[in-house]
Amino acid sequence: MSENPPVIRTEKLVKRFGAVRALDELDLTIATGEVHGFLGPNGAGKSTTMRVLLGLLRADSGTVEMFGRDPWRHAVALHRRLAYVPGDVELWPNLTGGEVIDMFLRLRGPYSTARRDELIERFALDPRKKTRTYSKGNRQKVALISALASDVDLLLLDEPTAGLDPLMEVVFQQTIKEATQNGRSVLLSSHILAQVEALSDRISIIRAGQVVESGTLSELRHMTRTTIEVETARPAGEIAGMSGVHDFRTEGERIIFEVDGERVEDLMHQLAPLGVRSLVAHPPTLEQLLMRHYGEDLGHRSVAEGAQKG
Amino acid sequence: MPETTSGTLPHTSVSPAPTDVAPLVRTGSLLRFMLRRDRIRLSIWVLGIGLMALYFSNAIQVIADGVEELAQMAVLFSDPVGRMMTGPAFGMDEPSFERFYAAGYVLFLYILFALMSVFLLVRHTRTEEQTGRAELVRANVVGRHATLTAALLLTGGANAAAAVLVWVASGPVAGYDAAGTALVAAGGFSVGLFFMGAAAVAAQLSQSSRGASAMAGGLLGLAYLIRMGGDMVEQGGSALSWFSPLAWSQQTAPYVEDRWWPLLLPLVAAAGMVALGFWLSTRRDVGASLVPPRLGRATARPSLGTPVGMALRVLRGMLRGWAIALVLAALMFGSYAESMVDAADGLPEEVAMIMTGDDLMLGYLAYMSLFLAIFVAAAGVSGLQVLRSEEVHGRAEFALSLPMSRTTWLGAHLAVLLGGLMALTLLVGLGTAVGAGASLGDLEHTGSLLLAGLHQFPAVLAVVGIVVALFGWVPRIAGTVGWVIIAFSGIATNFGPMLDLPDAVLNLNVFGHLAQHPVEDITLAPVLWLSTLGVAGLVLGLLGWRRREVNRV
Repeated sequence: MSENPPVIRTEKLVKRFGAVRALDELDLTIATGEVHGFLGPNGAGKSTTMRVLLGLLRADSGTVEMFGRDPWRHAVALHRRLAYVPGDVELWPNLTGGEVIDMFLRLRGPYSTARRDELIERFALDPRKKTRTYSKGNRQKVALISALASDVDLLLLDEPTAGLDPLMEVVFQQTIKEATQNGRSVLLSSHILAQVEALSDRISIIRAGQVVESGTLSELRHMTRTTIEVETARPAGEIAGMSGVHDFRTEGERIIFEVDGERVEDLMHQLAPLGVRSLVAHPPTLEQLLMRHYGEDLGHRSVAEGAQKG
Repeated sequence: MPETTSGTLPHTSVSPAPTDVAPLVRTGSLLRFMLRRDRIRLSIWVLGIGLMALYFSNAIQVIADGVEELAQMAVLFSDPVGRMMTGPAFGMDEPSFERFYAAGYVLFLYILFALMSVFLLVRHTRTEEQTGRAELVRANVVGRHATLTAALLLTGGANAAAAVLVWVASGPVAGYDAAGTALVAAGGFSVGLFFMGAAAVAAQLSQSSRGASAMAGGLLGLAYLIRMGGDMVEQGGSALSWFSPLAWSQQTAPYVEDRWWPLLLPLVAAAGMVALGFWLSTRRDVGASLVPPRLGRATARPSLGTPVGMALRVLRGMLRGWAIALVLAALMFGSYAESMVDAADGLPEEVAMIMTGDDLMLGYLAYMSLFLAIFVAAAGVSGLQVLRSEEVHGRAEFALSLPMSRTTWLGAHLAVLLGGLMALTLLVGLGTAVGAGASLGDLEHTGSLLLAGLHQFPAVLAVVGIVVALFGWVPRIAGTVGWVIIAFSGIATNFGPMLDLPDAVLNLNVFGHLAQHPVEDITLAPVLWLSTLGVAGLVLGLLGWRRREVNRV
């Protein structure tokens, strides 16, 4: 396995649209069998990356390889090994959902009708309706079912659940877990933080066309701050002055602050002698991860959007 | 504090239960919003109609030097073929510039009025519902009938403005008689209102804006065909003419009889259809149509699992629509063949010496093959626009994520489109032949009419080739250029001689080079070079499509 080239590898990938650098030296690597969360707000370059990976757009400079090959030149051969769910699924209005699913499965190669029917049932899709009558969520289900029922090595999912309700979101997470058990790799772009958190082995955070942070969730958490709410027997004002402590404030009996990941141990030594009555520690949320990279203003904006979609 | 104000408000101000909200609330705001959205589109339509009128009413004086020359040219409009194309030809035995204008050119202004009405009304009603924007608007305090009312006011206003410009262009500027000029302008206004009414009904019946436009536009086509048949039979029109809304305005006979009463017909019909539109809109939900969508197949037929199968489903509806319309038109045109033979009896002796009834009839059928081939090419351009919209709407991107090459995708769609267009030319030829055979009582000309239809295919292929080449390299302009080619072909073919266009310009007409079979023998050279042009365009387009990025935003 280790001799296999990475499923996806980009190095200093640049894509320009006129004067705008949509992708600005983007580095991204996904190993076989990995679920990789691709996290960033709208307009960060997630969909552009997907479309370069599909060979629909041509990279201006840098390297991009899928299974070790150039997606622009070897699109057809590579597409035999992957399935794609677009961010904004548009279907042929005069076909039924079932017809679109079948058309895609047949054009991709041999497939199991049992698997297809099972997925249609689990996603509760009525395949007899013309797609022009489908909601956004139903169109997404069609694309998801045709991708998940295919026998492929890689799933490229561009914000796949933006229109799904919470119940379908659960079904989606189950099906992705099943897919990875069968050894598939997944690139999952999203700004729905909980989803990425629940599914991903590794996460890359993209901002203005660059990957600003990449690693496992715990690696990323280590680099950020934990929120602590504590009630102590003796006054705890001295904590505010510790290095690595931020946003210190008092609410009645409690004090609330954030502490850098690497200072947690020091903090515990400082707190213990003060007589801790109660303590609540929140792990850093991905909202905080994002905010750290986008600054307060942008962070609030992207979180608000994520919450709306979720 | 809030309690006291809310306690007094209901008594002092209005607005009780929501059921009492007047159906026309906010019509004014919506109208202003529509005017803002359409300020350019609307200006182009209205000014365009005005400029056309200005051009027509002033070009005639330049084309013809005096009344004698005019009298010679009047045959263009007064013979049966001329009457088919332009109308009942009132006053052509004693032509004047203004009568010539009314007989030969005003019909095209009327058609523009009708098209403007259909496009504007559907755009602000059904298109808004289809895209879901209407829902957003209706969620506010907006009356049930406000959108349709505002769209009607907008369209009616545009027609009135265009009518005023037509009046200015042909009356004060060209110096034509006041009463007749007022009738020409009022005739345009009436045609516009009639088709506005038709569009208001169509917008309730169909769930898609294309369907609604096609329905109202189909009525316009039908009106034209009926008028053709009616006006061809005799000068001044026949009983059949009176079934066509386009003919009603022409029957006012401007500058000849100047009668106003025929305009009552379109105005009353328009009022009736507008009322019907309002009534139908109360019988359905927002976004829904009166014909409910049906359930389809849960699994695909085997044919759908191939690139060609996919392309067939993409293009099928469009091809079917064109086929129905063109075959009906071909049958109708063909069935006028007998009238052509009869018409030759009435020709002056000096003409009859060089032209027999059969010559006239075959010449007419040759012309019809050419005329219909331009429409087949129009079907080709609209098919290529379907492909472009596949790309713009992201469906091409989704399909290309399959193991299917760019070449296969475009190749499959082009194969289906060209196959469909080939079938269309054959069907049109067959329709003309069957129509002619039925009216003449013998099938002598069937073979040559089929050949006449097929013989136009290289010109259709050339148009498709040019647009495909553009699709491959500069997709943004491909559709527009395609329609310009079609419009130019139509104008140059029908009016080239009348408009006195220079040869260099006429030679640009793709459809002006093939021999006029069956009156002329087929010459190979134009067939070959038009086919070469077409194939070269296809190859060039495929190369460009392989190189360029898909749906680059």
